[in-house]
Amino acid sequence: MSVPAATRAPAPPRRGPGRPVPPDRPRRPRRFWPYLLIAPTVVGGLFLLLYPLFRAATISFQHFRMGELIRGGAEFAGLDNYRELLAGGEFWTVVLRTFVWTGINVVLIMGLSTAVALMLVRLGRRMRLALMSALALAWATPIIAATTIFQWLFQSELGIVNWLLTRLGLESFQGYSWFADGQAMFGVLVVLVVWQSVPFAALTLYAGLTTIPAELYESARIDGGTGRQIFTRVTFPILRPMFALITSLEVIWVFKCFPQIWVLSQGGPDGATTTLPVYAFRIARALHRYDLGSAVAMLTVVVLAVALISNLRRMLRQEGAEP
Amino acid sequence: MKHRLLAAAAVLALAAGTGACGSDEGSGSAAPASTGPAKLTVWIMDGSVTDELVKQFETDYEAARKGVDLDIQIQAWDGIGERVTAALASTDAPDVIEVGNTQIAQYAASGGVRDLTDKVADLGGTDWIPGLAQPGNIDGRQYGIPWYAANRVVVYNKELFEKAGITAPPTTRDEWLEITAKLDKGGDQGIYLTGQTWYALAGFIWDEGGDFAVKDGEKWKGALDTPQALAGMDFYKRLQALGKGPKDADEANPPQHEVFAQGKVAQMISVPGGAARVLEVEPKMKDKIGFFPIPGKTADKPGAVFTGGSDLIIPEASKNPDAAYEVVKALAGEKFQTDLAKAMNFVPNRTSLAHVLDADEGTAAMAKGASNGRATPNTPNWAAVEATLVIKQYMTAVLTGKDPAAEARKASESITATLNSGS
Amino acid sequence: MRGVSVREASVKGASARDVSARGGGRRPRAGGIALNAAAAAVLVVMIFPVYWMFATAFKPTAEIQAETPGLWPAHPTLEHFATAVGADGFWTFWRNSLLVTGAAVLLALVVALLSAFAVARMRWRGRGAFIVMVFAAQMAPWEALLVPMFIIARDTDLLDSLAMLTGVYFMVTLPFTIVTLRGFLAAIPAEVEEAALVDGCTRPAAFRRVVFPLLAPGLMATSLFGFITAWNEFAFVNVLIIKDQDKRTLPVWLSSFRDVFGTDWGATMAAATLFALPVLVLFLFLQRRVGAGMIAGAVKG
Repeated sequence: MSVPAATRAPAPPRRGPGRPVPPDRPRRPRRFWPYLLIAPTVVGGLFLLLYPLFRAATISFQHFRMGELIRGGAEFAGLDNYRELLAGGEFWTVVLRTFVWTGINVVLIMGLSTAVALMLVRLGRRMRLALMSALALAWATPIIAATTIFQWLFQSELGIVNWLLTRLGLESFQGYSWFADGQAMFGVLVVLVVWQSVPFAALTLYAGLTTIPAELYESARIDGGTGRQIFTRVTFPILRPMFALITSLEVIWVFKCFPQIWVLSQGGPDGATTTLPVYAFRIARALHRYDLGSAVAMLTVVVLAVALISNLRRMLRQEGAEP
Repeated sequence: MKHRLLAAAAVLALAAGTGACGSDEGSGSAAPASTGPAKLTVWIMDGSVTDELVKQFETDYEAARKGVDLDIQIQAWDGIGERVTAALASTDAPDVIEVGNTQIAQYAASGGVRDLTDKVADLGGTDWIPGLAQPGNIDGRQYGIPWYAANRVVVYNKELFEKAGITAPPTTRDEWLEITAKLDKGGDQGIYLTGQTWYALAGFIWDEGGDFAVKDGEKWKGALDTPQALAGMDFYKRLQALGKGPKDADEANPPQHEVFAQGKVAQMISVPGGAARVLEVEPKMKDKIGFFPIPGKTADKPGAVFTGGSDLIIPEASKNPDAAYEVVKALAGEKFQTDLAKAMNFVPNRTSLAHVLDADEGTAAMAKGASNGRATPNTPNWAAVEATLVIKQYMTAVLTGKDPAAEARKASESITATLNSGS
Repeated sequence: MRGVSVREASVKGASARDVSARGGGRRPRAGGIALNAAAAAVLVVMIFPVYWMFATAFKPTAEIQAETPGLWPAHPTLEHFATAVGADGFWTFWRNSLLVTGAAVLLALVVALLSAFAVARMRWRGRGAFIVMVFAAQMAPWEALLVPMFIIARDTDLLDSLAMLTGVYFMVTLPFTIVTLRGFLAAIPAEVEEAALVDGCTRPAAFRRVVFPLLAPGLMATSLFGFITAWNEFAFVNVLIIKDQDKRTLPVWLSSFRDVFGTDWGATMAAATLFALPVLVLFLFLQRRVGAGMIAGAVKG
């Protein structure tokens, strides 16, 4: 800033106000810069993600079990693993269940997070801080610890949930076995995942809400909008990109959610909580069928990509249009 | 120091070439005396040996053999299956690993474990207890060296027995149900039996003449749906109902010894070592704990029990197989076996040492039961059956009121599929 | 626009961050009773499991298994903390965890910042595809990569190596870090930087003196997320660190209070409490900034 004006670099051409200006436009000789900047990411991705992914894909086309892992010398098996997988009905049941799991969780997470975020905006300072701290605490609790705690809260004889429900007059919960019934287990897992996911989404949405200028609300209110109308006409449209981003992130996270389910139910009882990642892991680690497990993982990626394809295409379209 | 060691290991690994997956590499190369200090890594499961015993063994062993650096690493249970698999597949594995007797077949079948058949005589293998020797033996080759065993007994609260006017432990199953019902009064539980204690179920099924799976020619077949197995499950259900054990958990969640320590549980099914854990939680239970073998169908024979325990293996990828063998020999030898059995209330690895158990009430009951000890079906895929939890889930389903026959059929099909999936 | 001074522009850029105060003041009344009651309910639900972990850590074992659960420890004890801290290798695990997590997060931040800058500020061929790839990278099936990663580490002599572990955690956190940082960067008007350039700064200098300070909260918020992810990881450390036990990390320790007789709940809860501490401290330290800046840029996202 102390450099004399004469030595300044040529100023970028003026653009319309408000539009982000790509400042490197005039610097043609520096066109390699962006590529240099993304080089570390690309290199890292190549070695630490794509290459392992390629190896996993290779395994899915091999006869690769515990013996091959230890001795080496896996044989090419063509599409055998995929054939075996797609022939049994279980795979599609699991896919369907995974979608149901993702749907229920994401809807609950987004709904509750929005409610909590709107609540945060309206709360007094103290209560808001308290609630935000509570959210942070829940968020910061290690997954392993949180999962252990939930296992315990829902224990049939000594768990506090049954104790509380019984106290509230619901006698049928005396000694109720949450982990014995598929739907109950599913429910417990939903509660756990929603509990763990709401803080991130709620705090983010809250931050987004605070960026909406107060004037917009004022004018909407003067126009006689109800709280609901204000939300659908003012708040939501402004936050739509943020909703979209958080929703797609939550879809990915919930879809791939693994440690919680594995520790609590290992996919049981009777497969009622076996989602795709759990299915892949169970096959790979419990049965030592690494080949079949890899095939499941590959198909999982495909399924997830297909599910989000419209999202990705929209992203590509937008990103191509503006920086 | 650590870094230098690591660097040295890396150099060694490079020198050995990358083909260490092959079978014979390095065998016979590392005689302890000739190549200077050999660092030997031994994996022992958490809870198998007391800290003092480990320390003492380490010190004695290193003192007796100059130039051996023994590194005994206590392994946590979480993720142990993956860890052992990874170790066997690595190029520089731990030299000795303790492996559960139901797990060993799968590791041996995968080719990552050293064949110790020619050492059996040297180790005095003639009177190894079968529950440990058989699982370590695949197709006539001995891969696992028996280490220790334990089977379950009934641990009971003497005070509650007295209160209910019961003077002698039951000797038959019917008696057992009878007195347990009598004990299950007021705030007291007759027995704390969790819904997924499948080792106990195994014994009941064997008593009826059934099994989890049977070999039919070359194929295995799940057998939970046989009348015998169903009768075993029915007995389990009747017994389980005489207390408040959770139907959807196993004995580790919550640890049953902690529940027993509250003093309101008359009986639990546990290895005798569980009693020591009770005292850790509640020292006041000291003189209140008694033991009896799990009752059988008739009074002349105790109930069949699952022989749990561990074998020792030497991975093919061990860099010092010969030195490792010396460690195995010491760990499986008379001196350490005696110490171990006394310290941990375990059954030593050979019948000729069984007398060390006589002194203690708990281990005496265990030894009585051990005479009718059995193992799970001996196939490499059995570990996978355990890992899929199919038996535990079947038990929970029946206990929570589902139709036993239908559930048993489903579980049997699953067991059949798992046992016959190639390796 | 050209005449805007750096100072002025940066104030403008900063205003995006500071609106939280304004947002809160939008309707300054403390809400109705119903609202506060609902907030209190949410608060209790969110905090109860955490409180339960905490309370259990202080209960003697006999009390933990009591038939009627007590809401607080009747006879608080520190024995479980003693067990947890006294476990083998506790301090080594701490050091390793901090080292690996810290290195992975820092590395991810630096690398992500470069990429985010290229994406947010420059126009180049392949940019759209790159963004989509980064987003898609979050779908990576990490559990399925355990075996390939193990094989790769074995074949390159990187088993028992903290560097390998750091690399994996770096890659796990990188995509999210790029997506988030890019959002933060995009929220800072390019004019701010331009103005600095106009004032004669070189491009790196402009970035360092003007953009970076504005970006700092975003960096911190993002690092928190990466930290939580890497701090929790168990599966990779379990198979990548084999023989050299001194290389293990805290999650291994956290899951070590279980043996054949069952889990030592008290010790596990005490360990979990200690385990959560760094994240909590970090969060409290960053709380204001995180709250204000948390993905403010994601609005643009």
